[in-house]
Amino acid sequence: RQTTVIDIEGMTCNSCVKNIENTISNAKGILNIKVSLENKEGIFTFDPELTHPEAVADAIDDMGFDASVNV
Amino acid sequence: MPKLEYDFAMTCEGCSKAAQRNLAKIGVNDVEADLANKKLYVTTDIDQEKVLEALKKTGKEVSLSKVH
Ligand SMILES: [Cu+2]
Ligand SMILES: [Cu+2]
Repeated sequence: RQTTVIDIEGMTCNSCVKNIENTISNAKGILNIKVSLENKEGIFTFDPELTHPEAVADAIDDMGFDASVNV
Repeated sequence: MPKLEYDFAMTCEGCSKAAQRNLAKIGVNDVEADLANKKLYVTTDIDQEKVLEALKKTGKEVSLSKVH
């Protein structure tokens, strides 16, 4: 398992956080998610054989939030 | 151009901005959000299925309620 930090712009409240966590938890290879409204980022643990950081950022971007891989 | 009226389960500005951003990606920029009434007004000639698909990607419940 690997972990990536993704910068997320556009979240305004906790329902945004929950929406992203719920939607991305269904994405392939995602093992754990912690999204922070304050830090405008999400920490994602994933199976590197099933997905990669850019794919996770793309999935968040598809939801309408500006997302880019930080680490 | 038809004005499409959607019931969109938005709860905050983050939701309406996400919808606007996803619509902009398919070239639709004439969007009005009525957050209090959870309504989204989209004026476009683009295929309604494409518009609905872009809105659904936000993760929020959405349905076309009227065409003006
Ligand atoms: Cu929000
Ligand atoms: Cu919202």
